[in-house]
Amino acid sequence: MNDWIKVINISKIYNNVKVLDNISFDVKKGEFLSILGPSGCGKTTLLSILIGIETADEGKIIINNEDISNFSPSKRGMGMVFQNYALFTNMTVYENVFYALKINKVPKKEAQDIALNIIKKVGLEEHINKKPNELSGGQMQRVAIARTLALKPSVILFDEPMSALDADIRLTLRKELKEIQKEFGITMIYITHDQEEAFSLSDRVMVMNKGVIEQIDTPNKIFNNPKNEYVKSFVVNHLVDKVTSIEKCTGIDL
Amino acid sequence: MKNESKKFKYSIYIFIGLFLFISIIFPILSVISSVSWSGFASLLKEDLFKESLSNSLYVTIISTILSVTIAYLLAFAINRTNIKHKKLLSVLFTVPMLIPSISHGLGLINLFGSNGIITKMLSIDFNILGVNGIIMGSILYSFPVAFLILSDAFKYIDNSMYNSATVLGMNRFETFKKITFYYMKKPILSTLFAVFTLIFTDYGVPLAIGGRFQTLPVFLYREVIGLLDFSKGAMIGVILLIPAFISFIFDLVTKEVKGNNNFSNEYKIKENKVRDIIFTIFVIVILLFLFMLFGSFIYLAFVNNFPYDTSFSFVHFSYVIRNRIFKFLLNSIFMSIMVSILGTLFAYFTAYITSRLKGKFSLIYHILSIASLAIPGIFLGLSYVFAFNNTFIYHTFIILILVNIIHFFASPYLMAYNALGKLNKNYEMVGLTCGVSRFRIILDVIMPNSKDTILEMMSYFFVNSMITISAVSFLFNTEIMPVSLLINQYEGQLMYEESAIVSILILIVNILFKVVIGIIKNKGIR
Repeated sequence: MNDWIKVINISKIYNNVKVLDNISFDVKKGEFLSILGPSGCGKTTLLSILIGIETADEGKIIINNEDISNFSPSKRGMGMVFQNYALFTNMTVYENVFYALKINKVPKKEAQDIALNIIKKVGLEEHINKKPNELSGGQMQRVAIARTLALKPSVILFDEPMSALDADIRLTLRKELKEIQKEFGITMIYITHDQEEAFSLSDRVMVMNKGVIEQIDTPNKIFNNPKNEYVKSFVVNHLVDKVTSIEKCTGIDL
Repeated sequence: MKNESKKFKYSIYIFIGLFLFISIIFPILSVISSVSWSGFASLLKEDLFKESLSNSLYVTIISTILSVTIAYLLAFAINRTNIKHKKLLSVLFTVPMLIPSISHGLGLINLFGSNGIITKMLSIDFNILGVNGIIMGSILYSFPVAFLILSDAFKYIDNSMYNSATVLGMNRFETFKKITFYYMKKPILSTLFAVFTLIFTDYGVPLAIGGRFQTLPVFLYREVIGLLDFSKGAMIGVILLIPAFISFIFDLVTKEVKGNNNFSNEYKIKENKVRDIIFTIFVIVILLFLFMLFGSFIYLAFVNNFPYDTSFSFVHFSYVIRNRIFKFLLNSIFMSIMVSILGTLFAYFTAYITSRLKGKFSLIYHILSIASLAIPGIFLGLSYVFAFNNTFIYHTFIILILVNIIHFFASPYLMAYNALGKLNKNYEMVGLTCGVSRFRIILDVIMPNSKDTILEMMSYFFVNSMITISAVSFLFNTEIMPVSLLINQYEGQLMYEESAIVSILILIVNILFKVVIGIIKNKGIR
């Protein structure tokens, strides 16, 4: 039960290039795992395989002791939050959450209850009839998460949802995301190329490069014990540089 | 789920592919394969051909330059001066697009012909038949298109660039050269090409007002309609295709220089009273001219027998009614509504494929869709004769609707292409992960989010199908004749009053349709 999701020996080849080379890792129930790496490292392909948009050439994915490798995306019990959140801009907050339930033929009364309940839980009750363009960035993120939670997923995947947003708003969004995760206790896998984001959000970080896992561990351990040169330069040095430059600018000793 | 989505994907792929093949590639190949090289060679030696070609080039070059100049000044007036009522003016400038090109020729005859209203008033001979008339008519009919393109281009220039120019201490000429001209260069060239093609291939204006001055499209028209010489028509058609083809290639290879849209803040217009007065006068002159033109239709429609008996009368109305004008008007309205609905559907789904599905063929679909812009209506109409004259759709509404969809396909297609490209690219993936099919996402999310574009597309298809004479002129019979072709008929019989009535009716229907579309659009905002 501890290893809720097991990814076993996943490989994928595109045009004779090994995009993913024998990837294996576990995710524990309720854990927040970030997959961190530069563009082209294979993290997006890995995500597509996890959610079922693409199939792996080799390997399997097991959730809760069930092999889901051949399940269609909507049958995997995975929710996904997309870049820029991909909210349905023609629908209200309520309709965004209610829509998929309706299409999946959940009885109307039940669907209404589920939608209202989740909207309440993520604290959007007073915005229930607003359209996405009337919402703040934080509220949009909550709608996107509520929309996936409505379908009761066992894990939520995040595909660099904040990568196109301004730096100051990302800080607030991170905080909020962390709070939501605490409240719902749901497993989250978060794809990003941003070191700070990965380190501030995650229980564990998985550093990827050129289709392989370089290191997977808690932020603390990665920072203090980088496994190789790559992890050291891509993660540790980057973060240290950032801190040093802040110190220089502000004169504050961090 | 995944399979169902793939099935849907492949079926619209194949469906649109077949549609584009049958309606574009097949007809064009039919014409081009019918052309023989020896026939071509003898055509090129013909005196009448040489004369028509040089006539065409002469009037087209002059009209194009004048038309684009006027359009540029109007676009400048709207975007760079402080004249009043800009919104209303922008609408008024496009009213000439709501009537057929042949009407512009006839309007000029009404005003300046040997029995024209102005001619009689001032007792001057304007010598309007021939070159002068063709040039004026071509300008009237083409400047609104140029105005729309250029006005749009003005809006894309980012004001922060002008601010930096001021900071850098650039003088006016330098600012114009380095910023305005730099960003307007490509739109101006595109506009020149587009207007050139439009005028070069139009037969409405020269047919009405050309007199003995014969242009190439009129030559083609007379060979086909008068002498039923389709193969000669095909050869002339291929020549008409050349400038359109060049302009298409030009648009394809040159990349647009655009300001950064995300930061595009509005241009701050400087105070300048003299400039505003000059442009106000210019705009008034243009409007006055348009007013006279449209006024002449109304005046002629209600006059007994111009210029001999100018008393008020319904005699021409009762004549056209006896001539079953309402039947033809209904033909046109039916045809245009069908073109509007089906054309929008086809253009929208083609754009969906090219902007959101991608894949191997999408580039081919994209190029084919835009290429339809380069096919002159008269050539397209002829190609449909070659392709379909032995099929059951010949001389039916089906062929009229199909030819109009293709004739006006490119612009609505591009509207949809741009709008769909701007929508969040993950909507379908959201559906996939939530168990909602691609088709439902299109219906429930993509289409509602591009509602205004869909309405614009419908309006474009409708208005243009109402006014077109070129593409349909070889394909109708008297039962299904569109009302716009009645103008040709009346013009041939020198019945200017009757053709004025037809022009007015078309104008009214188009205005009503635009108003309805406008109302539907505004309802959505509330």
